[in-house]
Amino acid sequence: MTATAATAQISGGGLAARRALRAARVRGVAFAMLGLLAIYFASANFDVPAKFSLWIHEQGGDSAVLETKVGLLWIVAAIASAVVAGLQLLRGAGLRWRRWLLVLIAPWIVALLADLLAGKPAILTNVLAGSFEQATPIAMAAMAGILSERSGMFNIALEGKMLIGAFTASMTSSLVYIATGNVLLATLVGIAAAMAATGLTGLLLAWLGIRHKMNQIIAGTVINIGAVGITNFIFLRLLQHNTQYNAPPSVQPFKLPFLSDLPVLGPILFSAKPYVYVGYIMVIVLTYMIYRTRWGLRLRASGEKPAAAGTVGINVIAIRYRALILAGLISGLAGSYLSLAAGGSFQMEMTAGKGFIGLAAMIFGGWHPVGAFFASLVFGFADTTQSLLSILGVGVAPQLLASVPYVVTIVVVAGVVGRVRGPASAGLPYEQG
Amino acid sequence: MRLELRDITKQFPGVLANDRISISADRGKVLGMLGENGAGKTTLMNILSGLYKPDSGQIFIDGEERTFDDPVAAIRAGVGMVHQHFMLVPVFDVVEAVALGAETVTGFLGTFDRAAARKRIVELSEQYKLEVDPDAKIENLPVGVRQRVEILKALYRHSDILVLDEPSAVLTPYETEELFAIIRSLAAGGTTVIFITHKLNEVLEVADDIVVLRRGRVAGTADPKSATRQQLANLMVGRDVELIVPKGPAKPGDVVLHVENLQVRDDRLEMAVKGVDLEVRAGEIVVIAGVQGNGQTELVEAITGLRPIDSGQITIGGHHTEKSSPRHVSDLGVAHIPEDRGRDGLIDYMTVAENYILDSYHKAPYSRNGIFDLKAVRERAAQGVKDFDIRTPSIDTYAGSLSGGNQQKVVVAREFSVPVQLVLAAQPTRGLDVGSIEYIHRRLIEQRDGGAAILLVSTELDEVLAVGDRIAVMFDGKIVGILAGEDATYENLGLLMGGASFGGGLAA
Ligand SMILES: Nc1ncnc2c1ncn2[C@@H]1O[C@H](COP(=O)(O)OP(=O)(O)OP(=O)(O)O)[C@@H](O)[C@H]1O
Ligand SMILES: [Mg+2]
Repeated sequence: MTATAATAQISGGGLAARRALRAARVRGVAFAMLGLLAIYFASANFDVPAKFSLWIHEQGGDSAVLETKVGLLWIVAAIASAVVAGLQLLRGAGLRWRRWLLVLIAPWIVALLADLLAGKPAILTNVLAGSFEQATPIAMAAMAGILSERSGMFNIALEGKMLIGAFTASMTSSLVYIATGNVLLATLVGIAAAMAATGLTGLLLAWLGIRHKMNQIIAGTVINIGAVGITNFIFLRLLQHNTQYNAPPSVQPFKLPFLSDLPVLGPILFSAKPYVYVGYIMVIVLTYMIYRTRWGLRLRASGEKPAAAGTVGINVIAIRYRALILAGLISGLAGSYLSLAAGGSFQMEMTAGKGFIGLAAMIFGGWHPVGAFFASLVFGFADTTQSLLSILGVGVAPQLLASVPYVVTIVVVAGVVGRVRGPASAGLPYEQG
Repeated sequence: MRLELRDITKQFPGVLANDRISISADRGKVLGMLGENGAGKTTLMNILSGLYKPDSGQIFIDGEERTFDDPVAAIRAGVGMVHQHFMLVPVFDVVEAVALGAETVTGFLGTFDRAAARKRIVELSEQYKLEVDPDAKIENLPVGVRQRVEILKALYRHSDILVLDEPSAVLTPYETEELFAIIRSLAAGGTTVIFITHKLNEVLEVADDIVVLRRGRVAGTADPKSATRQQLANLMVGRDVELIVPKGPAKPGDVVLHVENLQVRDDRLEMAVKGVDLEVRAGEIVVIAGVQGNGQTELVEAITGLRPIDSGQITIGGHHTEKSSPRHVSDLGVAHIPEDRGRDGLIDYMTVAENYILDSYHKAPYSRNGIFDLKAVRERAAQGVKDFDIRTPSIDTYAGSLSGGNQQKVVVAREFSVPVQLVLAAQPTRGLDVGSIEYIHRRLIEQRDGGAAILLVSTELDEVLAVGDRIAVMFDGKIVGILAGEDATYENLGLLMGGASFGGGLAA
């Protein structure tokens, strides 16, 4: 073998090792080509200014402006690519390349963004705050997915439940507002109704999957299709002509006292709609509950090895029912965000795959609430930048831009994630003795 | 009497698993329980531990009748069970796995009091000399240690009736000795132990009383001080069993399997087979003896084509098969009885008939032009069930619901249903009762006498000595010695298995 010292040690001529080494070389060359590509972009429009500004205290107040040249950003991306390529070629199969790929993505995105904006200034605060907003329903869907799968149940139905949630919230909130004129009451009742509806849907899924041992993917798909059918039907028959039933008061941003005064961070993190804060709390509470409490221990046991839980007297069936109902409640909240906070009213099929993207975030985040939250941020960021770019009208077709979040999902799930391991018994029916 | 089960009956669809079984055990005593595969041992213990409800019968603890509606009730009454298949969550650490279901909690959220659980586990493991690292992850522990964790789990719940369902099936001889020491010290402390096994010498060594089950009934009891292995074996099977199947001298013919300087890696890509040379001739049984985990698994998987090799040569009947697919190897007339029949030998949720044609479903007479001839499939499968005496309600029963011995018979019947030139049998008798072992040995010797070459991997010295014409001892990925069957003894094999090199080991 003529490999370098480090690779020789693990290769030794074995078939599997040789394959791994070859794959490593291919990756190394690919990273090097990325570097060359970045240099080409750098030379293409080197002197175009790249302007990013951050609000320091509040929207429209003082701002900090970071200004540089597009070419310089590309050179940073090129250097990063070259470093990763070098590491890959030197260390061969031993490199944990997926981590390094994540490191590489950041400078590339910054450079690409600056390049596409072509000198137009971008307000970074808005992009980041928007990412958190967009990430919120995805993160909530991911939390619902984590709860379900940790208990051992697939929950493909998140998409449909969010749609039901969005619909129920919008209609209920509109009606209560018409009746009482009270914005807060209308919103809260709308959310509660949404959660009740999706909680029941969760119960239905549990009943089909646990009681009748129906294949959980099929049960979820049935619910998804049913949700589209029912909401479309009522929308077309009722809401389209009686728009007053689909005009809920919209949820406004709320500045958290003290925290929103933090310079730079305040406007990004703590001046958002209350949903975002609920999301933060949910991530923290769920992490604690799953990893630190008796409930979490038993939840994880029933998703990993239900027989082990059953033999010490834990009621696996009850755990799974409760987890699916709770997941239903959360996905209702996530759905209500879409119609009450983001859209202003219900639209047909307005979830547009957010439930599935939530599942992708769950996987990307390794079935851990914190990981899933950051993964959701990646998707939220992709969503926000694509809408920013299409509003500013950069020279890319808007349809193509709109596909960016979905492309990111595919790339992340298929490529970057690689072999993460989910709960071992998720999706398998449990037989109680 | 600490524990008494009276007239326990349990009917499963098509099988009367327990038929008026009565047993009893006193405080501080070890009750050894023997019985064929499918005799109903596990079922009885599942009833005792509240997992199954009996159709009729009574359970008495300290003379008082109890009914266990769920495992919690049985645990409260002091019953702890170490299951035949471990019941531990692989991704948990020892503390979590032990405390699961009996957690102490604090605060209104129900926070798991890990520190308290850890402290108690450390205390228990010191008190009973059950050495474990409380922070290790279950999936990284060897089976012997996992077993200790299971015992800790029972002790953690203050169990003083401890059921061990075939605890030694997966242990090395050394780990088994350690287990016996633990059992003795628990009994000395007043715990009642029920110890289920297929290994006759083990009950004779550790039990105070022996009860034998057969086909759901108590076939008899025995006193370990006076009983012999032969008596116990006959009681178990209900006829005279040959613990050592008689065989004539081998008549070795041409070389069928030739392995030269073979190197193979394990799943973690570390070298597991480190340059093995081996020859098996037609008409002889070569046994690879050795403690589990010394490269035997990887060696057999490499020969069958299931695992890519690193370097070296393999020829079967003159054909090079280093890069052949498993099907190609199988088509050369190679029968494979895999080590893990649940994973590689059978598909649990397919019927006996379907499993019977698993390696030849694509060929005549089972299918023509890609379409099954179901009549032929059923006829042949029914014939196989008859020829090999497979005890199954029907050929349409799911293979997974058969007892261990009968599952193994399905595999053997399939593999021997076509003419073979080479048999690769990896631990074919693990977990099987003496009757089934006798049966498998008979079939192997029959194949040998019919002119097939047999490579048998075994960790049991009794088996190695009983059937081996030549014995190759494997240690740390290498063959450290080859003995003729008649020269092998417990002593020289034991030394070689422990890693002594050929010359040195024998001279010492
Ligand atoms: N859950 C079940 N459903 C249907 N039949 C069962 C079930 N569990 C066991 N049986 C059947 O009951 C009989 C007794 O099985 P059991 O597992 O108690 O045997 P065993 O003595 O423990 O055998 P082994 O030594 O192979 O472990 C077998 O015929 C088995 O197929
Ligand atoms: Mg059993």
